[in-house]
Amino acid sequence: MIDFLNAFFNSPVMAGALFPALLIAVVTSSMSMFVLAHRLSFLTVGVSHASLAGLGIAVTLSLPLLPTAAVTAVAVALLLAIMPSRQGINEDAGTGVLFAGSMALGVMLISNANSYEVDLFGLLFGNILTVSEQDTTWITWGSLFVLLALLIWAKSWWSMAFDMVTAKASGIATSKLRLILYGVIGLTVVMCVKLAGIVLTTGLLVLPAACAWFWGRSMLSLWALSFTFSIIGTLGGLMWSYQYDLPSGASIIAMLCLLFIGSWFASWLKHHVFEVSHDF
Amino acid sequence: MTQPVVHLSHIGFGSDKKPVLEHLSLEVGSGHFMGIIGPNGAGKSTLLSIIAGLIKPSAGHIDLFGKCLNRRTRQKLQRDLGYLHQVQSKLPDIPLRVRDVVAMGLSSYNTSLLQGLFTNKKADHDKITHALDLVEMTTHQDADFRRLSGGQQQRVRLARALVRQPKLLLLDEPSAALDSRHQEKLYQLLRKLCDEQGMTVLMVEHDIAAITSYVDSVACLNKNIHYHAKKGDTIPDEVWREMYGDHVNIVAHDASCIGCAPAAKHSSHGHHHD
Repeated sequence: MIDFLNAFFNSPVMAGALFPALLIAVVTSSMSMFVLAHRLSFLTVGVSHASLAGLGIAVTLSLPLLPTAAVTAVAVALLLAIMPSRQGINEDAGTGVLFAGSMALGVMLISNANSYEVDLFGLLFGNILTVSEQDTTWITWGSLFVLLALLIWAKSWWSMAFDMVTAKASGIATSKLRLILYGVIGLTVVMCVKLAGIVLTTGLLVLPAACAWFWGRSMLSLWALSFTFSIIGTLGGLMWSYQYDLPSGASIIAMLCLLFIGSWFASWLKHHVFEVSHDF
Repeated sequence: MTQPVVHLSHIGFGSDKKPVLEHLSLEVGSGHFMGIIGPNGAGKSTLLSIIAGLIKPSAGHIDLFGKCLNRRTRQKLQRDLGYLHQVQSKLPDIPLRVRDVVAMGLSSYNTSLLQGLFTNKKADHDKITHALDLVEMTTHQDADFRRLSGGQQQRVRLARALVRQPKLLLLDEPSAALDSRHQEKLYQLLRKLCDEQGMTVLMVEHDIAAITSYVDSVACLNKNIHYHAKKGDTIPDEVWREMYGDHVNIVAHDASCIGCAPAAKHSSHGHHHD
């Protein structure tokens, strides 16, 4: 076991990947609480798929991948925040429309690019092991920005998730903060794409808080638990992928899913076996 | 005369063809407890939302605490305002302890986590405990909010509105989900807060008989205020009919009842029946 851990932490592949992967784990665990509380998991699906359009534009115009994708994702997220209220379109439908439309645009643009320029498998399912120094720098700045936003607005976002009307009546600028929340989620999604890929990103933004939801009793305890689950899932997933030569993104998500099942089962046991149930 | 807490002049809301409120003017002073009654769709909740600064009226002017309510002043004025709205759907499934819900009502709550480290935790703690004490929920302060009954949740929401010690309290059917004992206690508490702290309360309720011995006045609302009955006044039959239609049958409560029709003094119940 110790030999394995030694080999894992000293492997040249992991050396560059561990820091950004753990940084993403910290950011996603924090944001996932708000994704669940505001019921925005479908938004993360939409924005992550829409980032393919950004990547397509970046490849076509030879722009840096991650920043271009970040701008596109944030723009799409903000559009989704504005569109339903302005046009009377249901938010689910709006997400569906933008999700499909930008995915189509991305596919068209990428199919025109030379195949060696685009690691399509990496884009769709993530590959943190191929992270470049430049990517790490972008992820670091992005993470700092998201964490700063959380420091400033976490409590207001929490209050808005609980009761939007009362939050507004107590003097919170709810419309503005909702826009910022959507934008920050868009940015987080793009950082996750490198780790888990377009298809699996939602897992990173839903699973940590979902594991913690059964046990958290307040915002801070939920945050601490979500953080713990996320770190365990990311480290465990990377070790799993290292040991059996599996794709890193999928291994992390699979590990988080196992943690979720474990957490759910433990909570079920607690309520049905250790406490007297009054349910039928 | 001291400055009114709420001053509305010629408020309108909705389209010209289908107005929700029209030409509504109202003045309420400090320490006044006012009940607002009216049929469904009369614009009662809309009126409270407008005063709370949640929606902008299409016409008219609002002054709160002597200052004009507009986009620029809204957030500052809302610091002195407590608001309890009707819950339309189930509250979201978010892990929160009862005292966390009440803490959300503190003005200091909506600051950054860093600033939160420097706030006076003891003072906040005392305010929360006091607010929970007012609604008799102190023993549940560490309970999971989701596991409370509907009535208990309503009392916690009321504590959230009270915790910032607002100068103006707007309540939209606060007695919903409360049993009759807690309804009485709620009105007694509001009366006490008006008398002792000079709080102004505007409360939408359906049951005029239940509130009549506690409030200072009752406003009959249907698009505008048809009648504003002070203590000892009676609301004329035609006002009832104008608001609720011709099929209304008015029965009186007692001599001190606000809004009771003198013609029906023999009855012991003060409900208006549609």
